[in-house]
Amino acid sequence: MGTFISRGVRRRTVLGSAIASAFAGSMPAMAQGDTLPLGLAMPMTGSQALFGTDQVRAAQWAADDINKDGGVNGKKMDLIVQDTQANPQVGINAFNHLAEINKVPVIGTAWSSVVQAIAPVADRTKTLALSIGASSTKVAHLGDYVYTTYPLANVDVTALANYVYNTMHKRIGAVLYINNESGLEGGVVFRDVFTKLGGKIVAYEAYDSNATDFTGMLLKVRAASPEVVHIQGLTADIPQVMAQMRQLGMNMQVTSYSAGYNPRLVQQLGAAAEGFIVTSLAPGEKDNPNLGAYLERWQKVMGRKPNGLPYTQYLYDYPYIVKSIYAWLEQHKLPATGENFRKGYVEIREFDLPLTGKLIVSPDHTVLKPVYLMVVRQGAFVPLATVS
Amino acid sequence: MLLVLEQILWTGFANATFYVLFTIAFAIILKVVRLWNFAQAGMMGIAFYTMYAMVNLLNWPGWLALVLGMTATVGAGLLIELYGLRPLRRRHSSSLMFFIYTLIFSELISYVLMLLFGTEPVTLFPSILSPVRIIGGIAVSDWDLTAVSATAVSLLVLWLFLRFHRDGQFLLAVSDNGELAELYGISAQRAYLVAMAIAGVFACEGMYLFGTRAGVLPTTANDLMLFAVIGTLLGGMGRLFAAAAAAVVLALVQSYSVLVIASKWQSLVLYTFLFIVIVLFPRGFRLPSLQRRRVVQPAVTEAKA
Repeated sequence: MGTFISRGVRRRTVLGSAIASAFAGSMPAMAQGDTLPLGLAMPMTGSQALFGTDQVRAAQWAADDINKDGGVNGKKMDLIVQDTQANPQVGINAFNHLAEINKVPVIGTAWSSVVQAIAPVADRTKTLALSIGASSTKVAHLGDYVYTTYPLANVDVTALANYVYNTMHKRIGAVLYINNESGLEGGVVFRDVFTKLGGKIVAYEAYDSNATDFTGMLLKVRAASPEVVHIQGLTADIPQVMAQMRQLGMNMQVTSYSAGYNPRLVQQLGAAAEGFIVTSLAPGEKDNPNLGAYLERWQKVMGRKPNGLPYTQYLYDYPYIVKSIYAWLEQHKLPATGENFRKGYVEIREFDLPLTGKLIVSPDHTVLKPVYLMVVRQGAFVPLATVS
Repeated sequence: MLLVLEQILWTGFANATFYVLFTIAFAIILKVVRLWNFAQAGMMGIAFYTMYAMVNLLNWPGWLALVLGMTATVGAGLLIELYGLRPLRRRHSSSLMFFIYTLIFSELISYVLMLLFGTEPVTLFPSILSPVRIIGGIAVSDWDLTAVSATAVSLLVLWLFLRFHRDGQFLLAVSDNGELAELYGISAQRAYLVAMAIAGVFACEGMYLFGTRAGVLPTTANDLMLFAVIGTLLGGMGRLFAAAAAAVVLALVQSYSVLVIASKWQSLVLYTFLFIVIVLFPRGFRLPSLQRRRVVQPAVTEAKA
């Protein structure tokens, strides 16, 4: 933890940003030969800090673990963190700071709006920006220097729609989606994939993010008699929609994406959650033996589970991706520039990562990952299937 | 089709209950204190998270959490009045200062709650499902019945309080003419405190109902406030029960609007109402017949005199 706190947060809060900039600017120059810098621009303050700080912690643990194991040919990894507040404007400043002052060749970042905002800066400074958690499909079209390590929204919903049609043999579906970017994108993907396979979408309804009464919308869906209802909502509204569905006697199959993978939902809905199918983009304990030790570490150090566990798994794996690229650069005797980092990321293509398994980078700036389908059985999420 | 309309009517009506309670809390402060109390969102946040902590962290029963939540909310309201509004009044601050003060209070509280409880949506009790029975083809949940009856009782008690209790009558006197009321020995300061206490009770009851049905975030109360503001405007400033009725109408219009427009436009319906009310009915919507009767009454009194 020490490294990122001293560089990214404590110094900024205690000494002020001007002094921090001066120090941060001088450090990499001093350490360039001995350490391998990697940047991370995440929300450390603001409304998303709860998730951001846990994700940074996971990345820092990974960097520490790599260093404990000898680093990259004896050179230690140096994680440098800047705060984005999950705000595009602050994100640009953070990215600029890391790219121009800290001179890091690779920067991990997240939150769709931030990733979209920093893309021109990544292109201008020729710094590899790795999106680790932004799921918007727009991430794939943000220029030459923006890549993702996280599967975009269409991956899990496509896999789910395929499973519902091919394995569950459902032919008539309905889609309910929240009226925001992730809802719109996911809703369209489910509708299009399901329809293309031969299924029929009989109701396609959006709801407002502030809505609390879904009766009218649900009665319209009930009248259309779908066999399956896919909800592309958020953690807050999915349980409400499902509760009101069940209370209106709508007992058909319900599916959702990773936002529905929330143990609290099972508590809130009790028996009404039975059979609910969701997706997860990171393997669980049964799929990955390393995860048990990782969760134990959280329990031991923090006394709790991490906020947004799957995202922290991706953040933990980020330094391992960078480690592989540094090793590749040394092997090919290339300097650690953003251009070479980009080249290395695309050419290595396949990464075997400790917490999220195999990652395959596609030339179209997306990645292929297995999708883990989970189902609620006897009051808990259990694995249903893994769709490669 | 009739069943569908009836179902929407019932669930829309039940769903309107917490909006009615928030609207009454907002309207009574506007009536008595003459303040657009945006600090109510902060009070609502305090109410919910106090109850949430009691139920989920201390494992106390819901009824006790409600009582303590009300105590905390009333306490917060009194502190707002004593240490915020009263000094501002003493300094003859502009209405803009009052507005900023109430707004900042709510923002501050939502950030503190975020710090304490995080940004995950939480419900008051682990389960948000309540048993459902079919009455005349309509699904009626226990939550619906509890919400409707609790709101009806609260409104009745408030009406009785305002009509028959000395403090209630003083509230009305201060709301009519504060200076004149003071000449008759009625303490406006006390009336303000009583109004804040009533607002606290209603805000807390509303959050109890809301939190047993839907997930709450530290910023949820800010969104819920919009409904209270529109209800108060639509009902007419100073007309408590008309504001409550307006909240019911708004909730039903929102519910029924789904039949003609996509539900994603429900907020647009609210804002359209807000716009129309501000432009066309700045003093609230009044039925023509009631207006006429009101006009006639003073004339009769004059004739008698």
